[in-house]
Amino acid sequence: MSGQDFQSEVALKVVGPPRWTPEPDPRVPPGDPATLLTINGDGAVSAFSGKVEYGQGIRNGFAMEIADELDIAVDSVRVVLGDTALVPQDRGTTGSASTRTVGIQLRRAAATARQTLIDLAATRLEVDSGALSTREGSVVFGGGSKSVRYADLLSGHTLTVAVPDEVTLKNVGDFRVMGKPSSRIDAVSRVTGSAKYAQDVVIPGMLYGKILRPPSYGATLRQIDTARAERIGGVVSIVQDGDFVGVVAEREDVAEYAIEAIRARWEESRDTASDWNLPALLKERAGESVALREEGSLQSGFASADRVLESTYYVPYISNAQMEPSASVARWDGDDLTVWCANRGPFAERDSLAEMFGIDPKRVRVIAAEIGGSFGTKSPSVSHEAARLAKAVDAPVRVSYDRAEEFGWSTVRPAATFEIKSGVDVDGKIVSWDYAAFHAGENAFRGQRGADTPYDVDNVRISVAASESPLQAGSYRSLGGATNHFARELHMDEIAISMGIDPLEFRLRNLSHERLRGCLTAAAEAFGWESREKRPGVGYGIAIGYDAGSFTAQIVEVAVENQEARVTRVTVGFDCGLVVNPDGARNQIEGSIVMGMGTALWEAVEFDGGRILNDGFARYRVPRITDTPEIEVVFTGGDDVPSSGAGEPGIVPIAAAIANAVRDATGTAIEELPIVPRL
Amino acid sequence: MHLKVNDESHEVHVDAERTLLSVLRHELELTGTKYGCGEGNCGACTVLIDGEATRSCITPVTSASGRDITTIEGLADGDKLHPVQEAFVEHTAFQCAYCTSGFIMSSAALLDRNPKPDEEQIKSALSGHICRCGAYVRILKAVKSAAGEGDAG
Repeated sequence: MSGQDFQSEVALKVVGPPRWTPEPDPRVPPGDPATLLTINGDGAVSAFSGKVEYGQGIRNGFAMEIADELDIAVDSVRVVLGDTALVPQDRGTTGSASTRTVGIQLRRAAATARQTLIDLAATRLEVDSGALSTREGSVVFGGGSKSVRYADLLSGHTLTVAVPDEVTLKNVGDFRVMGKPSSRIDAVSRVTGSAKYAQDVVIPGMLYGKILRPPSYGATLRQIDTARAERIGGVVSIVQDGDFVGVVAEREDVAEYAIEAIRARWEESRDTASDWNLPALLKERAGESVALREEGSLQSGFASADRVLESTYYVPYISNAQMEPSASVARWDGDDLTVWCANRGPFAERDSLAEMFGIDPKRVRVIAAEIGGSFGTKSPSVSHEAARLAKAVDAPVRVSYDRAEEFGWSTVRPAATFEIKSGVDVDGKIVSWDYAAFHAGENAFRGQRGADTPYDVDNVRISVAASESPLQAGSYRSLGGATNHFARELHMDEIAISMGIDPLEFRLRNLSHERLRGCLTAAAEAFGWESREKRPGVGYGIAIGYDAGSFTAQIVEVAVENQEARVTRVTVGFDCGLVVNPDGARNQIEGSIVMGMGTALWEAVEFDGGRILNDGFARYRVPRITDTPEIEVVFTGGDDVPSSGAGEPGIVPIAAAIANAVRDATGTAIEELPIVPRL
Repeated sequence: MHLKVNDESHEVHVDAERTLLSVLRHELELTGTKYGCGEGNCGACTVLIDGEATRSCITPVTSASGRDITTIEGLADGDKLHPVQEAFVEHTAFQCAYCTSGFIMSSAALLDRNPKPDEEQIKSALSGHICRCGAYVRILKAVKSAAGEGDAG
């Protein structure tokens, strides 16, 4: 589909600023207004966003918001996502931000279109626009007895309207679509196999590429013999550029076979890091600590404390392990590059490709395919690899990772070590809190998320350091949110247990944050915390969390038996303000719980000397349907509170809640993840 | 080689050592069946062979020749979705849906041989599948409701 196909029929175009920024940003250069929403002469509505769909249901969420504001059917909204030639420039689909940033902009665009249609009708009917309303794709008048379809009003027009500063949005009470559970508009394509993921994209003349992987990170190619591979029928070319070696073949299986036929000698780096020595190494190899918050006096706080506790915690590297391995198709037309991929940030991808080949970003078009999961990754390199091979052979090339490549050459969630020292007075109030985190990876921003404590404390220091990472650290659901919460919420139980105070009561005593208190009390009531039954081998744990503007509290029941721990029940209090699609939000929270359960109980990337040792699902245990607990979600946010994120906050406290529950069952404190191998 | 897929006959000329998954996706362009791990550990590649749920990524194409192969594209009856597909839509039993074809095929095979499975039987039949988005609660509900349990929610 090209841009012209529908632009030519557009009767009404609603435009906004050239780029999405949550707040005015002086660094954003001016540009042409971006098209947010169009209505064709036949009434067809399209909306455009730089966000992408990777399973979170954002296409559906946007369609619901537009349908509601414009009074049309949800399934009549076409949502165009992540094609850099067609959609407004955006900052990638991260931080659970789509609903709270783009969603509201599209609602405003839809409301602008609705007002334009009402004004057109008022002119045509020679009535006051205040007497008109909208219903099911029509402007209605005469007390609702007469109507004129949007398509009829727009016939013959070509209008462009900018979203004004002041737009009247529908009141919550008038929502027909938002706030009500909805099936996904893309559901049928997903249950019939017709949805096209990056792994499924085939374009005319396309060849298949495969990359020769070094035996370990940091290895250097010393010698190579490609003679045998070149003789294989169907091999088009062996491409070599320094340490980058790839095969291009007519079929994927031939490319795989040819890679196996290459003999190469590598000199491996002698990094001594492994998952055995990493907990201590993270602190040894850390850069300078950044103090995110420093208030009061730690010293006087500790001096006034009834008792002082110190703990060290560790979380290992985690593989995102999304079901679709990374894939990308690249095609050159002269100096113009088109890439079909599963990247979460199509514009960032475009810019990095342009930089790599030294061309103007305008010459690169990135088109997001359906994305088979991400949780923060999809190899950042796969599009580069496809584009390099495509350029070398002057034909379109698809590179698809296999599972071992995905485990070995995509990114992992940073491992982290934490040191917490706390002081607490006789009343069980925290009086001093010294928190130091050491997150793997040069990107300090990741480790900072969720590091600050939401509890009341006057004397506090929160410091985070980025530590040299032996593996390729990347983004994972909530970034450092889940790992920072793990350390903090385990230490909260440490204090509560040492003081002999109930973990719920201890948290409430130190928490004045209203929305978090709301989550916590709602979850405790729904779970039946007060009436929980103490039985041998059964434990209960609590943790709270904040992320992406939302708040949550989670209460867990576990059963521990024969070196196995099973999560049997999870109750979630969740406040993300106005819930656009309750079923979609619930789906995200359930998924976060299941995913976080894996990080708590079993998951850890094992590595030694730059080699990942467990690069398959047989050796990397993830949650399965047989592990699934009963999950109850209670929404506690107000409808008058703007929507905040729902995709990530659910994962932040769950590992801690599970660890606290296992401790409750066994009596043994947990300091490292994963839990099950240590039982 | 002769392959019967979704009630259609195909003559394919392929190397005998190729997997059924590779031939379905690349020669027959049936991309609804997914590659997830290539080791039979995740279930994304599941198809039916003579009604039995089978991991196509570890099945040599020769062993499927002459047998009845059904892929996700052949499960619906024209525009009428299979009851398991209907239930997955109704319960939004997916997020990214990359694993969905496999879950649906195994569920359809289960209900075919056991129309009224209990919860443990459903979990057991689907335990070889991975949904990394963690939509298991919904998948369980969907299969229960496809099996005609009124209270599946």
